[in-house]
Amino acid sequence: MPRYGFAIDLKRCYGCYSCQVACKAANHTPQGVDWARCVPAETGSFPAALRQMVPLVCQQCAEPECLKVCPTGATTQDENGIVHVDKDLCMGCKYCIMACPYGARQTVEEWKAYFPDAGGDLDPYEKHAKSAWEKKNGYGIASKCDYCTDRVKDGRQPACVESCPAKARTFGDLDDPESEISILIRRERGFQLNPEFGTDPSCYYLPPR
Amino acid sequence: MLPNLKAQSKWGWLIAGYLFLAGLGGGAYVTGAVAGLLDTPEWATIAKIGVSLGFPCVAVGCLFLLADLGSFKNFWRAAMRPNSSWIARGTIIITLFMIIGAIHIALGVCTDRLAEDAGLRHIISALGIIFGLGTMIYTGILLAAARPIAFWSTAMLPLLFLVSALSTGIMAVVALASLVETAHVESIHYLARIDMAIIVLEMFVLGFYLQGSHRVPESRASARLVLAGTLAPMFWLGVALLGLVVPLSLDLVGVFSLSGGAAVSITLVASICGIIGGLLLRLVILSAGIHAPLKVGRFEIALPIV
Repeated sequence: MPRYGFAIDLKRCYGCYSCQVACKAANHTPQGVDWARCVPAETGSFPAALRQMVPLVCQQCAEPECLKVCPTGATTQDENGIVHVDKDLCMGCKYCIMACPYGARQTVEEWKAYFPDAGGDLDPYEKHAKSAWEKKNGYGIASKCDYCTDRVKDGRQPACVESCPAKARTFGDLDDPESEISILIRRERGFQLNPEFGTDPSCYYLPPR
Repeated sequence: MLPNLKAQSKWGWLIAGYLFLAGLGGGAYVTGAVAGLLDTPEWATIAKIGVSLGFPCVAVGCLFLLADLGSFKNFWRAAMRPNSSWIARGTIIITLFMIIGAIHIALGVCTDRLAEDAGLRHIISALGIIFGLGTMIYTGILLAAARPIAFWSTAMLPLLFLVSALSTGIMAVVALASLVETAHVESIHYLARIDMAIIVLEMFVLGFYLQGSHRVPESRASARLVLAGTLAPMFWLGVALLGLVVPLSLDLVGVFSLSGGAAVSITLVASICGIIGGLLLRLVILSAGIHAPLKVGRFEIALPIV
């Protein structure tokens, strides 16, 4: 069974936000929910200041904190290592949001219109997005990235991976030592975020220099 | 360079109210059940008052909790994962506590069934005390299990919540008892004296808890928020002054230098102040919960990301 993972190359990301927009378009997420995103980070001070764009996604941990704390069993992990939320079981206690060290779990109370100044109803594209969102998720409950499971089943790549013009995101099977992602992680010495929480994320970052 | 760390905003007034009422209900019940086990006429009214507060306070607390749920039609599923989730374990604990508490009220307060049957009273009280303690303790463990929030994730928090819950429970019993004519005044004073000791203990535990939050940058940021930041007025005036110093001082005056009706009134005021302080303590701790920042090599990103 393939264990899916990400390798995110910090050398390549230049902060175009294509991944954030592509994820939103593919998964019809409302305002306030971004499963894939790009976040600016800074360190140091002039004249030795550094800036780095950090692409983020759910880390699909091998030992997920969110799964541990979920009281209803709405949070489950499939055989590929991807953590799913069942919208019919989630009661919206928000414990997973407290427990996730990566901010991957998100919740919204309602669909806020993207273009409120346009007046009147939502436009047809936003109406379609809203109903697509309500079919697979909802309001007041937790939602998260699922590595575009549906697209992957069809043999495609996750939306954020496919859309990245710099090929900063790589998706593949961590259990296959010959896969592109495994080779990248070994060769570039990929690291995990906040390993002190013992979550063993399946998302690896390739160092920027 | 540490990013601008912000506290969580998802758990607020409603959850603070739930934690507070669950603690107070558990503490009041344990006070009443222990008084009932002493089985003397001086403690009879206090026993009834304590037990009568148990189930209702926790039940109202649960209403607060249900109000906070995003999708409360699934609330009954909260007990589905006791093998790993502290919310699931807590749901089972407080459900059992409420059942025992309701039975105790029905048999011990509404009727005199338990006054006659000592064996039954002992069994119900013992079970109720166990689950009442469980209710008080689990509210702290629940927060402590959120590992990325260093301010919460410490063994001191369940201890602090237990001591505070016991204190607010006793104060609630004292407050109600001083309004009820049949209550034995000496027993109220005795309870007030016990509560003074618990308040002193709570001051020490709170001090150790805040001192212990020097561990990591995010818990230090939380402590700064509480002691010198936007939460400082609520903490110093509401929790430290109103919740600890004022009740302790008033109780000292009431118990050692006044007597009779004046003393009882003073302990009533002291108890009300302490109870308000207990609620504010929960709110302050919830409002100061800061997640560990994401560490990406030498860079740090504050959570939640806005």
